Amino acid sequence: MDLLIDSFLSAIVLVISLDAEMVSIIGVSLKVSLSSTILASLLGIPLGFTIAFSEFIGKRMAVTVLNTLLALPTVVIGLFVYAFISRRGIFGPFDLLYTQDAIIIGQVILIIPVIAAFTIAAISRIDERYRQTARTLGANRRQSAWVVFREARFGIVAALVAAFGRVISEIGISMMLGGNIKGFTRTMTTFMALEYDKGSFVLAVALGIVLMGISFAMNLLFHFFQGRVQSQ
Amino acid sequence: MIYTVSDLIKKYGSRTVLDIAYLEIEKEQIYALLGANGAGKTTLLNILGLLETPTAGQIQYRSRPVNYSESALQALRKEIVLVSQHPILFTTTVFKNLEFGLKIRKIDKKERIRIIDESLDLVGMREFSNAPAQHLSGGETQRVAIARALALSPRVFLCDEPTSSVDVENQNIIITILRRINETKKISVLFTTHDRSQAARLAQHTIVLNQGRLVPTLYENIFRGVLQTDPSGQPQCVIQDKMHLSIGGHQRIEKPRAVSVFIDPEKIAGRKPSEDPAAANQLQGRVVQIIAENGKVRIVIDAGVWVALLVSKKRYQKLGFMVGETIRLSIPPEAINII
Repeated sequence: MDLLIDSFLSAIVLVISLDAEMVSIIGVSLKVSLSSTILASLLGIPLGFTIAFSEFIGKRMAVTVLNTLLALPTVVIGLFVYAFISRRGIFGPFDLLYTQDAIIIGQVILIIPVIAAFTIAAISRIDERYRQTARTLGANRRQSAWVVFREARFGIVAALVAAFGRVISEIGISMMLGGNIKGFTRTMTTFMALEYDKGSFVLAVALGIVLMGISFAMNLLFHFFQGRVQSQ
Repeated sequence: MIYTVSDLIKKYGSRTVLDIAYLEIEKEQIYALLGANGAGKTTLLNILGLLETPTAGQIQYRSRPVNYSESALQALRKEIVLVSQHPILFTTTVFKNLEFGLKIRKIDKKERIRIIDESLDLVGMREFSNAPAQHLSGGETQRVAIARALALSPRVFLCDEPTSSVDVENQNIIITILRRINETKKISVLFTTHDRSQAARLAQHTIVLNQGRLVPTLYENIFRGVLQTDPSGQPQCVIQDKMHLSIGGHQRIEKPRAVSVFIDPEKIAGRKPSEDPAAANQLQGRVVQIIAENGKVRIVIDAGVWVALLVSKKRYQKLGFMVGETIRLSIPPEAINII
């Protein structure tokens, strides 16, 4: 217990003093996670919206597949992407392995199903009368789709928050595709694992606190956005 | 004519919900669409609002058959606006709700503001312009939804049960608005209602639907019944196991069958219990409602089922019925129509 309390107190000192290595690790983590969340949202939101908004044969199957992919282990994605970007893979010549780009590719694959599935759920919850109202007011298909999208915005932002939380806290992809290279691909989670292996808890706990803090800040931001829109 | 409907059929699966042989709706008039729940009122309104397509038949709008291609429909929908029974407002301000349709019509900002202010004035909601739409009460929501529709200056305004979910004060406001837009802006109005008296007060024409078909009645006194033969071999109609009415004639009924029955309220005779007891289809009931209506008096009697009779004012004065009084009804066979 003392070990934990000591580590916790030391971690707070480290956070307050803005330790250079810690700042670098946080920077890499945020850069990689935000990039993958943005890229995945560019693909996942339209994918989810299209599935939710249109009727086609196999729609239920598509939703089931997406829901199944939510449980995809990061290690599997790591192995899968590794096969493509390692020296012997078809993308080997691009020298992507052990780069931040490699981590981003893996994380995008990880969270596209999260964003798409949450978007489908958010759109499906929107009352059909929104679309009908837009149509009777003269909207075309695109304009009425936009109305539905706008009404589903809380759910879609929640999808992004969940996806960001998933990537910033994952370790398998970052470790396998990034390689935990100091100052380059070392993220908060890979560093915490390394420190644990070394039996050094202080920096690991400090980064744990930062990780939780970032997650908390993201949720605060979401609630602030939700509150502002609802009080409009 | 603003609409001409011919041989209209609407089916959901194998169930036919609308079957209208012919219907004309004149422009710049107010029409009330009456009928019980499930009569097909909302479906007809949605078809006239071009939100649903008929299974068969033809709809003519302004003397031209409706083209159901998406682009043609979109152009027509700019002239026809429908406000649903429980209207939904977009999750933004009242102003932006009204602005939505105007932006689609590419009306410039200055003009948009003028139209929105004018429309909100019309429904008495100007001070709510910047209020979040989702914080409004049911009546206010209905009024904003009407303003949102009227801001678009439609030719046709379709309204599904506009007063069913609002308080009495808002009901009166909405009725006044509908009348005013018809009179001042010459907008054709078609609204659905269960309320006969509201239809009589507001509409110049009444359309009555029963199980998806037009019926030439004033909506009341339509019952589900069973047509069968009485013990003496005469045909009779049994309504809700409470009223056994001889329908006259010598029609032979092989086996009992379910039917819809309309009892003409103008052919029912009402008397004091002491008077003239020996006519056919004599029933006793209690007066539950008396309403003056278009120069006549409607008297509703609870005779096991509620039956309305319509008498002249002079006749009513002679009868002198009071609410709560027990009276005798006489329903002659010619008042009973199997529909």
